Order: sequence, then structure tokens, then C-alpha cells
Amino acid sequence: MGASTLLVTQSIETIGQMSCNPAIGGIGKTHLVREVDALGGAMALATDRSGIHFRTLNASKGPAVQALRAQTDRALYKAAIREIVEQQNGLRVFQDSVVDLDLVGDRVQNVLTRTGIRISARTVVLTTGTFLGGRIFIGHEQHEGGRAGDPPSNVLAQRLRALPFRVNRLKTGTPPRLDGRTVDYSQFEIQPGDGNNTVFSYIDSVHSHREQRPCHITHTNRTTHDIIRRSVEDSPMFSGAIEGIGPRYCPSIEDKVVRFAERSQHQIFVEPEGLNTTELYPNGISTSLPFNVQQEFVRSIRGFADAHITRPGYAIEYDFFDPRDLEPTLQTTQVENLFFAGQINGTTGYEEAAAQGLLAGLNASLQAADKSGWYPRRHEAYLGVLVDDLTSFGTNEPYRMFTSRAEFRLRLRQDNADQRLTPNGHELGLVSRERWQQFQQKYQTITAAKEQLQQTVIQPNDFRVPMLEQETGESISREVRLVDFIKRPRVTVRAIQRAGWLQDIDAKIAEQAAIDIKYEGYIARQDQEIKKAKSAEKMTIPVPFNYTEVNGLSTELRQKLSESQPKSMASAAKIQGMTPAALALLAIYVKRNREQRKIA
Amino acid sequence: MGTGGIGIVRVSGPETKQIAHRLLGRHPEPRIAEYGSFRDEKNEPIDSGIALFFEGPNSYTGEDVLELHGHGGVVVQQLVCKRVLVLGARMAEPGEFTQRAYLNNRIDLAQAEAVADLINASSAEAVRASSRSLSGLFSKEVHTLDENILKVRTYVEAAIDFAEEDIDFLSDETLQIQVEATRAHLNSLLTRTREGAVLHQGLTVVIAGAPNVGKSSLLNALLNEDRAIVTEVAGTTRDTLSEKIHIHGMPVRLIDTAGLHESEDRIEEEGIARAQSAIQQADLILWVTEDHDVKHPSESPTTHLMVLNKCDLTSNKPGLVRDNTVRISALQKTGLKELRELVAQFAGHRVSDDAFAGRPRHISALEAVGQHLQKVEEFLASGMGELAAEELRQAHQQLGKIVGETSTEDLLGEIFSNFCVGK
Repeated sequence: MGASTLLVTQSIETIGQMSCNPAIGGIGKTHLVREVDALGGAMALATDRSGIHFRTLNASKGPAVQALRAQTDRALYKAAIREIVEQQNGLRVFQDSVVDLDLVGDRVQNVLTRTGIRISARTVVLTTGTFLGGRIFIGHEQHEGGRAGDPPSNVLAQRLRALPFRVNRLKTGTPPRLDGRTVDYSQFEIQPGDGNNTVFSYIDSVHSHREQRPCHITHTNRTTHDIIRRSVEDSPMFSGAIEGIGPRYCPSIEDKVVRFAERSQHQIFVEPEGLNTTELYPNGISTSLPFNVQQEFVRSIRGFADAHITRPGYAIEYDFFDPRDLEPTLQTTQVENLFFAGQINGTTGYEEAAAQGLLAGLNASLQAADKSGWYPRRHEAYLGVLVDDLTSFGTNEPYRMFTSRAEFRLRLRQDNADQRLTPNGHELGLVSRERWQQFQQKYQTITAAKEQLQQTVIQPNDFRVPMLEQETGESISREVRLVDFIKRPRVTVRAIQRAGWLQDIDAKIAEQAAIDIKYEGYIARQDQEIKKAKSAEKMTIPVPFNYTEVNGLSTELRQKLSESQPKSMASAAKIQGMTPAALALLAIYVKRNREQRKIA
Repeated sequence: MGTGGIGIVRVSGPETKQIAHRLLGRHPEPRIAEYGSFRDEKNEPIDSGIALFFEGPNSYTGEDVLELHGHGGVVVQQLVCKRVLVLGARMAEPGEFTQRAYLNNRIDLAQAEAVADLINASSAEAVRASSRSLSGLFSKEVHTLDENILKVRTYVEAAIDFAEEDIDFLSDETLQIQVEATRAHLNSLLTRTREGAVLHQGLTVVIAGAPNVGKSSLLNALLNEDRAIVTEVAGTTRDTLSEKIHIHGMPVRLIDTAGLHESEDRIEEEGIARAQSAIQQADLILWVTEDHDVKHPSESPTTHLMVLNKCDLTSNKPGLVRDNTVRISALQKTGLKELRELVAQFAGHRVSDDAFAGRPRHISALEAVGQHLQKVEEFLASGMGELAAEELRQAHQQLGKIVGETSTEDLLGEIFSNFCVGK
């Protein structure tokens, strides 16, 4: 986009540092990674270069919900990101802590660093992660910290708390890490990767892959649960020391044991930290129990009898700002040239953070160039779902992406993120020339493949039919167009190719064409829904809006509306307990308000 | 929709003109009230009344609008609605006309205030009305259905979003069973709702009885014309005769049958067989006997009304004898008013007694839910979880239209509630 950008970080060494588990992607998350990639972002490229275990999740389900996931080598990932950052034109890096913002009116003039340097900028993006007022808990121990080993950003936190944003606390946690030399792999179930056949980035090939490693699976048991139950009072989660709300879908092991008391075991993924380290990340036993309890329960787990803990697990509590105080461009509503991205907005996850970082960055850049902002809508991208959810409804737990959040899931697929977003990326100047050319070429071939599927007719007496019947389990007794045949549930394009059709088409291209055809009908139906949603979105509600003047709303609804201040009728409709009658009233008062303002 | 003197069906949108043409058999003049008949696909009249056409933007909604002022009977209105739907319209969402008026800038500041007041006022009424219609069994069952669909969705969505946990229910038989059970429940609900929605086709009433008790005379009397051949010769009516009449605005298919008795005449035998099959399909049977005759059928089922004819010969007074018995003279056309009342009561009884007095939009929503659920079963069986999930989402959305919950997608469409704010 040509903006001149300075990246200020506490430590250049931690650029690309994965604070949580060394994995990228997963269901819903890969969709975000691919969208970031389609818009020219770095995450997919870095993952392809550092991934040591690739797996397609939901492989048995339809393409709309399939998702690639990679275990990465922490060091390689960091190096890859660092390299991309260093090679980015117009981007400079500076090591220091930002402690203050100079505000003049509703604009940030400068940021002030710990060493007293004032840096001026037309726009500022804050990505504070878990560092704002960060507090680390292990048992009864607690100390200030932004991540194990790193100091928090307390001065900045205090400064931001003085601004008119709504602040709250969230919590997340990590498991203890283990020394791989002290665990017994023979006790684990092995989970190999899919092999070297998939990549995250639309412009990568499997040649970017490193050596691959398997993951392992083990389980907690009754003894583990007994140990945990005995010590649960010592967990700051239960003692009340932590006020922040943790995620429901990624609970600590003590949470799982207490809440699902009937379960006799919980699954643990034993993830390698990298190629050149023996350290392991036992995913599934995040905890803030005292260290001695961690040690005791870890050693009760199959394969971990002699395990040495290299780093204790901990919980971390941090500040986040109510994302309802943001525009969908991630610009703050109070300070017009300040943008927030990542955990500061109440989200969790690398992928969610990367997506927001990209969006905030591109909008900060647009604003600096006096251009109007851009963001995708719910039917265009998971990124659109993410910002709409956050800015419309806020969140009261760390927000994570799920495919079920996306009502237009069938069109928002990981296979077509480039189709959905790369043209936007091109227009915005985010996408390299190579990527753009590659994209155009790919879609030409897909279009040609679809054409071929339309034209080809299978004759029942064709010599390849018996093979096709055997491959698909479908019988062919009369002539059928390939395009219709492929819509049958059991039919895959791979089977068709194996039987001898479409052999001049690249397997991936044929696959893509087939997916588009299979979902065609549903997508057409969703188009209707989208049309309706758009008209509701166009009916904007001024913010702030005085809901007390809307006669006839229930007190409860009035309170909810006042609090969430929906920006459009579309958002208002999504508020829980909203009735058609209330919406009707609201529509009239909004219109009245608008007309009165015109007169005034 | 309810019973009133006049029933108004309003159509709004770009295709209104075509619908009007096909329904009225002519292009209506804008803003001219014209009396005529509303026709079905065979060009036969469903109802007659006044058609009013407003050309957009000079109409309430700002679009082309057709108003059909017909008879107030629920069934007549439903028939007209149904016809309009077949011609390409769809049921309006609650308050949709006002919504469109609003969107098309037909409501200015002052009017907006007035409409807001109206909504406020009718809101209370609507709440009362909806709590009446939704506090019954119908509401309970729809909510159960809603919960069950939610439950199924929870399973399906969890299986999709948490593929790595041991919760892949998609191939689970219990999920299949649950979907099947939900669909069976829906189907029974739909059947009862359809019944409750006042007998779409109108009431089928069969006139039956022994030969020569005056069945055909009764038909004629109710028809007010000499449609059937009446002689004193027993067995004059060989075939069944079907005629449409209206009783209190409700269409009734009146069927005259051959007298039931042992006959050796082959033609009459066939007529009797037809009479018996007509009786089986009847909603209501007018069992005609002669007033002096004591031979009543041993039991009188609830679908029977006893008609004691020829009271002119016994000098008994015509009129109501018991709850389900009326004395008449078909010849002198006496007691017919009471008979009509009884028939109407019977129809009304069937409607009000049924807790499932669903409205057409309820039925069309439930039908859509059923279609989606059928797809869900198919997709689960073929392992296409994401499509099953999509069908479930749509099913849920349809159901949301009945239980009044606002779906995330259908935004302005759900604006303005379950009351016709009108003008």
C-alpha cells in the first residue's frame, strides 16, 4: 500500500513469538489464515516454512468445513516471520516500550516510549496482546507479566484506562511444557501428519515444507483427576484471585475435571515444539495449579511418569477494551486515528489476531492516505464475521472463531478465500504482482474446468463407466452430464479422474471446480438472504442513540440497546430478545431522529 | 385473518399487475372500485367482491398494490390467499406492508409518529392475541420442535467445529433417530395445523339417507334452484350430484347421493356404491329421514346431523330439535336457516375446538421446516454434515418466524410485528 510504517516492540527477538501452543490453523481458524494470505499477509507463508506436521481436519466432511492445521517449529516460525518483516518495503522496526499517547482533541499526536522518545504518526495501531496490565498466576503465586519471561505494559495500561474506553479483564492459560527426553513415547498413541501434500498459502507449494514429525496422543485418568480435585482450592481460578473470564471452549484442566466430573479421561495432544528441541507442548492440560500439583498430576498421566517440567503452566489475566467501541475498520470510535487489533479487542488465537492486525493495518494505512476504510462483510469473509460480531455484540470471554459463527459457511470456505478476497487485496494494493497474476491464471483454469464439466456427457455404454461405477458406487443407466453427476453426494472429482475423465485438468483445479458446482444451489439460496441482510445493514442507527425516547420498548431491551448501541438495524435485530415489534418501533424512531437532525 | 363482514386480501409488489390480471381476468383501473369475481385457475369464481388497484408509488406501500374486498369468511379468504400465492405472491411477514411503506419513504415524520402510536396500541392487543394463540398446545408443540431442532443443531455444529474431540455424532445413529423423530413430530403437528386452518377446500357435506326421504329436495332447497330432478319415485337419484354453496361465507361442497337401500337395479346399485364412498369422504353427513319415521340410525356419530324432513306432513314445528337434529320442510323451505346454523356451528366447532388453529403463514413455515428436515436426513445419511447443518439452520430460521424470534439473517424482514398496523 506504500505506507511508511514503524513497528515498535519491547523486544525485536520476540517478533513472531508463539506464546501459546506451536500450531496454526484448525477449524474456522484456517479460514482466517487463508483470508489473511489472500490479502497478502504473512501467516500462511510462515506456517508453510515452519510446519512440521500438517493435518486436514474434518476430512470426512464437506469442503466448506474442512480445515488444515499445522504443528510448527516455534523457532522456524519466528524466523520466518522475522524474515518477512525485515524484507517488507516501507516497514522499519524499533525496539522500545510504548508507554503513552499524546492526545490532542480526538487524535493521537505522538506515541511516547519508555526511553522518552516521541514518535509522531498519522495513524497508530495498538496490538498489546496479553501485556496490558498482565498478571501471571501459578497457584497462590502471582506476579506482573505479559507472558512468561516478559514484563507487562503497565504504564500504557494505566494511560489507556484513563481514556473513555470500556475496559475489562480476560484470562487465558497455558499448560506446563515437558522435556521430551523424559517421556515414554511407547505409551502414546501416534498421530502422523497427512504427509507432504498440503500448504496454507495460495502461492506456496509443498516444496516449502520442512521435515515432518508426528504428534502423539495420551489421556488423563482417574488418578490425575483425583489429584486435581484435591487441590482445586489452590487454583486461582477457583480461589477467586482471578476475576477475568476464561474461554469456555479452552478450559483449564481443573475446569474440565470439575465441570465434567463424569468423564474418566481427557485427551492430551503431545505436540513437538520443534525440530531442534526436545521440548513438548502437552495440549489439553492448561493449568494454574501450584507447581508441585502440576508435577504430581502430570506424572500420573500415561507416558509422563518420569516427565520433567521445563516451564510451569500458568494463567494470565489481562486488560481488554470493549470492541463495541470500535468501528468495523478497527478504528476506535473515541480516537479517530487510533486502531486496536488482537487480544486488546477481547479475542484469542494467533489467527484471529493476524486477521485483525491485517485489517487494522490496512485501514490505518488507508486513513493515513486520506482514503476511506475497507472491511469485508459477513458473507464475504470470516474476517467480516469476526469484526461484525465483535463490534456489534462485544464479548465476555476470549473470542475465538468457529465455523458455526458464519451463517454463510458454505461460501466462506478455506479453498476459495483467494476468490473471495484477492481481488479486494489487489485493489487495495496489498497483493504482490506475482500473487495477482497467479490468482488470475488459476481462476481462468477453474472457469475452463467448469466449462468442461458442463459440456461433458457420460454415455452409459462408455467403456470407462464400469470403472466409474465402481469408484463412486453410483450406477449409470442413462446418459448424464458430468456437472449433474458430480452433485451426487458420494461422487468425488478424484473418482471421476481415476475412471478416466477430465484427465487433462490439474487435480486441484478440478477439485475446486467441483466444490463450486456442488454448493451452487445453496449459494444461490444464500444470495437471497444476503440481499435482505444488506438492506438492513444500510439502515444505520446513529451512535449514540437515545433509546429512552423510544416509547414502548421493554426496560430490558432498552438497556441492552443502550449498552450495545447497534450501528445498524441489522445489528439491532441480532440482539437477544429483540422482537419484530421492537424493531418496528426502533425503525420509526431512528427515522424520526434523522429527520429532526436534518431540521436542526 | 379472522371472520368479519368483509375480508381484505392485500397484494403488494412489482408483480401485482400480473396477479391482478390473472385473478380478475382484466387489468384493473387504478383507484376505481370495481365489483367482480376472483377466479381460480379454471377461471371459476372463488369469491366475488371489490377489487381496488393502486399504482405505485401512489399507494400505501409505494409499490403496486391490489386490495381484494371479498366475503369475510375465513375459508373464503384463505382460498383467495391461496390463489394469490399460486400466482406468485408470498405470505407477508408480520407488518411487512408498513415496513415496505417505510422503506419506500411513504411514511413521513407525522405519519411515523402516528404509526408508532398505533404499534404501541396494537402491540398490547397483539400481545394479548398472540398469548392467546401461542399459549395453547400449538405454541407448546412449536417450542418443543424448536428445542429439538436446536438440540440436533447443537450436535451437528459441535461435530463440525470440534472434529478433534471424540464427538463425531454425524454418523451416529441416535442423531438420525432424533432427526426422524423430530420430523415425525413436525408432520403430525403440520397435519393438525392444516386441519385447524379451517379445511382448505371448504367443508364437504353429504346428504344421505333412505330413498325418497327428500334428499334431492333438500339439495335444491339449499341451492335455491331446481338443480336435482325430484320425483316421488324412489331411486330417482342414480349418481351423486355435487354443488358448491356458501354457508355463512364458508364454501361448502354439497353432495346429493342415491338413497341407501337394497336394489336390484344395476345402475342404482352403482349409485348406492358411489353414495357410500361419498359418505366416507364427508366432513359432515346430513342424515335425512322423514319426520314421522322413527327409523334413525342406531347411533349418530359426531359427523352426522339428523335432518327430519317433510314436517309439513306431520305438522310438527320446523326448527332445532336437539344439538344435532333439526326438523325441516324442504318443500316449504322451512327450518333451513336452523340447518345452516347447525352446519356452520359444526365447522366452527371443528376450528375452535382444535388448539392448532394455525394461520397460513404458520403452515407455510412448518411446511418449509419439513422440507429442510427431509434434506437433513438425506445429508446425514450420505455423510454431508455441512449441508445437513445448512438445512437445519434454514429449518430453524423458518420456525423462528412462528415463535416470533428474530433470526440473525432476516433482519428488516422481521421488522414490524405480528400486527397489521395498516394505515
